[in-house]
Amino acid sequence: MKKTQHLRTAFFSRRRVPDCPVYDLHGHMGPVYGLHINRESAAQADAVLKRNGVRLLVFCHHAALLCPDIGNAANIVAVRAFPERLRAYCGINPNYPDQIEKDLTSFDRYPDVYVGFKFHASFHAIPITDARYEPAWALADERGLPILLHTWGNDPQCGYTVIRQVAERYHRAPILLGHSCHGAWDEAIRLVKDFPNVYLELCAVMDERGILERFVEELGSTRIVFGTDYPWFSHHYYIGAVLGSGIGDEDCRNIFYRNAKRILGK
Amino acid sequence: MRLKFIDINLAFGQPVRAGYRPAFTAGDVRRVMKQAGIAKALVWHVAQHDLAPADGNRLLAKAIAGASSLWGCWTILPPQTDEVITPDFFRRMKRHGIVALRAFPDYHKFLINRVTFGRFLDEVTERRIPLLLSLEKGGITWPAVYQVMADFPKLTCILCDIGIWGVDRFTWPLLETYPNLYLETSLLALDDGGFESMVARFGARRMVFGTNFPERYPEAGMLSLIRADISRSDKQRIAAANWEVVLNQMRV
Repeated sequence: MKKTQHLRTAFFSRRRVPDCPVYDLHGHMGPVYGLHINRESAAQADAVLKRNGVRLLVFCHHAALLCPDIGNAANIVAVRAFPERLRAYCGINPNYPDQIEKDLTSFDRYPDVYVGFKFHASFHAIPITDARYEPAWALADERGLPILLHTWGNDPQCGYTVIRQVAERYHRAPILLGHSCHGAWDEAIRLVKDFPNVYLELCAVMDERGILERFVEELGSTRIVFGTDYPWFSHHYYIGAVLGSGIGDEDCRNIFYRNAKRILGK
Repeated sequence: MRLKFIDINLAFGQPVRAGYRPAFTAGDVRRVMKQAGIAKALVWHVAQHDLAPADGNRLLAKAIAGASSLWGCWTILPPQTDEVITPDFFRRMKRHGIVALRAFPDYHKFLINRVTFGRFLDEVTERRIPLLLSLEKGGITWPAVYQVMADFPKLTCILCDIGIWGVDRFTWPLLETYPNLYLETSLLALDDGGFESMVARFGARRMVFGTNFPERYPEAGMLSLIRADISRSDKQRIAAANWEVVLNQMRV
């Protein structure tokens, strides 16, 4: 089939392309230690999403990952204030097993808020194979809920070796590899080939021109999802990068919204 | 009407380490510029970083000879070693269409300060030749940037590849203090709200457009600027006009 690139023209000539919504499956919210965030609040996020044609941002608030004293309450407040365009991952910090138990016990009280879980093993310095994550893995796997992992190379906490170990155990939960094992591109591709519930996510992947093209060439585009780390990074920067890769319109559509809708059951 | 884009952060040549998809020749760069809609560019050769500045500078000069859409940018080393900076340096710059300089002090193992570059950078400052410093590519650290600006406060300096994580906490104090300091936009464009907050605080005059091609996709930074919530005239300043002002002030 001939590869078309009409979307490139469309996004460069219009702010929003109505027949090509964007689902961002890797976001955050709130202030964070290492940088000045220009737009921290849920209200600002909602305005940006609306203006830029981003249909849904699935995020995990920085406080849910980095401040146990606030925790997932920040996610709940943000989504309930702006339910049209926001959903959250329930943040899991394995340093606090009692809090995990509370979050999982109350998980079903927030079907309007949560779509799945976020593990950031690099922040928490505990590998994703650790038993303290087990209750969240089990719940996600039982229900087929996505888990967004921060992944990087072969980092001992969150690299391809430990990802393989969990993928061998959990077959129903979509496992979204945030940053696609950044730098270990061949191993990331191998994980997707070996495990049908593993997906690549593009945040930081687009730092290196040519990697997305390799992913699509080797895997097709049905196992790649769009993500930006918003509000760290700009949606239009990433949209431009995907369009600039020269992959075809059908591949772009899979990445921008079709795969996400399938994972989220929409 | 479409924005006119001039890209000041483009490279070509075969990099020592394979990774990103490289642009092998100046011809490759021109093809991508045409496809993306970039009118002109300030380019450098990766050998200026990977091998040795003098050899890279020669490769660059040869590659851009006769290419009207490309300006050249040479890499410098300390004057004391006579590897790059010789008595006829500025004449050679002019002869080869070189309009800007780069330095990679960390990677090339030297300090960029008054002790090392006193008279030379005084003359560069006087001639208003822009010096590009990359915060990536093993270029320079933030303390070293602060030092070079303290030593040469009127230097026309363009900070490139400013960092993956937002760096306002580093750049805003510099922008407040040094009026001839500019930010290249390839990573500012990555920040959500980066253009808007810069324009609100400093106006649009302190940014010059760059893409960091071929490591990054030109369309990424272009679309980010096109969709920024700033005026069209500010976008045009950033996309091309600010660089044209810098260029017009430069005397080789």
